[in-house]
Amino acid sequence: MSKRISLRSKKIGVVINYLSLLWFVALFYTGEHIIGWSTVLVAAILVSILIIIITFVTVHVNSGLWKLIHSKIEKLDEREIYVTHESLRYSYAIMSIILLLIIFVMALTSMGKDALGPILPAGLIYFAHTLPSSVIVWKEKDLLT
Amino acid sequence: MKSRKLYNRISLLREERGVSRKELAERIGVNFQTVGYLERGEYNPSLDLAFRISEVFGLPVEFIFSTKPMKPISEQLFDRAHEKGGI
Repeated sequence: MSKRISLRSKKIGVVINYLSLLWFVALFYTGEHIIGWSTVLVAAILVSILIIIITFVTVHVNSGLWKLIHSKIEKLDEREIYVTHESLRYSYAIMSIILLLIIFVMALTSMGKDALGPILPAGLIYFAHTLPSSVIVWKEKDLLT
Repeated sequence: MKSRKLYNRISLLREERGVSRKELAERIGVNFQTVGYLERGEYNPSLDLAFRISEVFGLPVEFIFSTKPMKPISEQLFDRAHEKGGI
């Protein structure tokens, strides 16, 4: 069932979600390649995972956006098709720029080999999946059910 | 190409006939929020959807949708009566 959440709260949720994701990847990278693992670091990673899960459920699942983005086109009406099409178009552009920037940074620095662990691709997969609904949160005034 | 703003009487007709957004949405086969978008003029319907709406209300498409701001029906009635010399 979908719940009403204010647009402002949703936007804040999206920002917190992605900052937590970035924080999680950075912490993992730090633990794996720079300072080694410690209890504090593991706790910080667990906290960031918890924040990611909570904001994901609140912003993407409870709002119905995850369902909308992942629905078959036959189940959507013409405005929903338009909205999802627009969000996917923006997401494609944003994702392309981010991936190219990552590749560019990797090519310029020596972190390329280290960064290609499982965490960065996993983070990017999550980001790619949630980006369309985040775009809708940003662009639409009153979409959620 | 940027589409023109379409004005409509969906909200007026819906309230006049005591139809909820949800009921209208079910009858025209869209999400109820799409009805809200249509009523506020924030989304222009396809020709097919415009015809479905006109069929539900039993009125011509051009009575429900217009590219120009629509006069209130009371004003239109007054103008018509005035033209006929009734008032």
